[in-house]
Amino acid sequence: MSSPAIQVTDYSWKYLHSTTRAIKNIELIVQPGECLGLIGSNGSGKTTLCNSIDGLIPGQYHGIKEGRVEVFGTEVEEYRRGELQRTVGLVFSDPEAQFTAMTVEDELVFGMENLGLSISEINRRLEWVCDLADLSPLLDKPPYEISGGQKQRVALAAMLAMQPRVLILDEPTAMLDPVSRERVFAVLARLRKEREITMILIEHSLEHIIPLADRMVLLSNGRKLHEAPTRTFFSDLSLLRQEGIHLPGAVGFSGYLRESGATTDEPAISVEEAAQQARNLRGAAKGELS
Amino acid sequence: MNKTLLGYVPDASFIYLVHPTIKVLFLLVVSLFPMFISAVEWNVGLMVGLMALTVASRVNMRTLKIYIPVAVSMGMIILLSYTVLGGRHPDYQVITRIFGFPLYWERIRDALVVYFRILPMILTMVFFLSTTREREIIAALRAVRTPFVVTYVLAMSMRAAGMVMEDFRIVRQAEQARGFDSKNKPLPYKIRKYVMYMVPLFALSLRRSEEFTNALVARGYSFRSKVKRPDYILSRYRFAWWDGALGVVIAALFALLLVARYRFGRFTVEDSVLLRYLHTILIPGGGA
Repeated sequence: MSSPAIQVTDYSWKYLHSTTRAIKNIELIVQPGECLGLIGSNGSGKTTLCNSIDGLIPGQYHGIKEGRVEVFGTEVEEYRRGELQRTVGLVFSDPEAQFTAMTVEDELVFGMENLGLSISEINRRLEWVCDLADLSPLLDKPPYEISGGQKQRVALAAMLAMQPRVLILDEPTAMLDPVSRERVFAVLARLRKEREITMILIEHSLEHIIPLADRMVLLSNGRKLHEAPTRTFFSDLSLLRQEGIHLPGAVGFSGYLRESGATTDEPAISVEEAAQQARNLRGAAKGELS
Repeated sequence: MNKTLLGYVPDASFIYLVHPTIKVLFLLVVSLFPMFISAVEWNVGLMVGLMALTVASRVNMRTLKIYIPVAVSMGMIILLSYTVLGGRHPDYQVITRIFGFPLYWERIRDALVVYFRILPMILTMVFFLSTTREREIIAALRAVRTPFVVTYVLAMSMRAAGMVMEDFRIVRQAEQARGFDSKNKPLPYKIRKYVMYMVPLFALSLRRSEEFTNALVARGYSFRSKVKRPDYILSRYRFAWWDGALGVVIAALFALLLVARYRFGRFTVEDSVLLRYLHTILIPGGGA
């Protein structure tokens, strides 16, 4: 059996000058090709965990590390400098903060140049990401002069062009309006269809994360509180409510039906499923009346 | 339209056919021309040529209007410093006296020479910045095998300038929103309170540095990396025969200028028809 894409074992991290650990005894396994949704309130340790998988921690930050973080069977600290980033791509929430070039085109090729790819391969991948994220009309523009949604698509495409085996998205739509958010998630959905890529997705808007994620993890105060396949994850909503997680309307509605005993169906995780549950209930009620 | 360092130039401009290295060569060499030309009319001719190139490159000339007040005030400053503040020179030719101060022909002549040397230099720079994109400067430097780190630091400095300005705007708006505004206040007050802007700006810069470093690491960049970078940017700019021809023309013109100046004594003050004419007008019957 092949090794997991990511294996986090009894992992804790404490930033220098901090009195408490940001991550506490986390155990996590992500299989190749799996999409993991990571949720939790601000300060729950989501970003710290993702930075640990990408090697930014402990590479760029000082602190105390305990436990192991392995990517494809190798501890992140054992990767040579720059080597881990070929395997793990990280997209940050603030797209502007990650721009490193003067035009969108240069931005997209910067990572590929660092990989030492040939010009023909760069052109091939450039064409692919431009098509995937609809960026062709923007290639000549400075990345800091385009709209927020376009910026995030550029940041995402720049990372995808490097074709990492693992893609981590840290609140990629936190700064976007709903329309731009939809477009970014449409890119991710298309990516999941076209390529087998391991993905960790941190996102507050659950209605976008649910259709993509195979499994969900809830973090709170640096600890893993709950982990389950996406549908099962929403079978008990009390913990999520207690943690202040804003539930999508469909999930909340389905949960209410289940909690009130009106249905014993599996939790609905989309509007269509919730509507079907409502139709089933109406049908059952009609049957009882007749 | 493509955004250049000073404005926008239409996609259809011929200037995009010119390799960035030739543009940089043009800037470096042509801006030296006036240093070797004292004859005013030749520098005026150079300016006319530069204006013609700017128009032919389809630069929006309206954006250049902002330089007119600068050029006028610079001319006034030069003229005043050469005449009023130029001191007394008994051996110079006096044109007239204003409130007892003698106005010398030599000082006016020198002021004109200096002024018409500076103007084409500025115009060369304006032409370059109006027709060149940041990316082209990087491409030009890479084309002459400048180390990647050097060009990258330069590129980031150019970008950082814009980011700092944007951050400054945000900080100022945030402080205005909380009732702090130095607008219409005396200059000493503004200077004293400037620290109110500097502290958050400094904090923002630190945060940006951290984010930027993380972004570089996330993109697999390392200063010590042994990976040979393919220099994609150069694949976007190919040297054409006309680039070579332009380079030769620029170098040849410069060589001709030096020969004409130092071998045949041309382009000097004494060689200037315009200055001779002006002299005959200002000092009728006087020797130069």
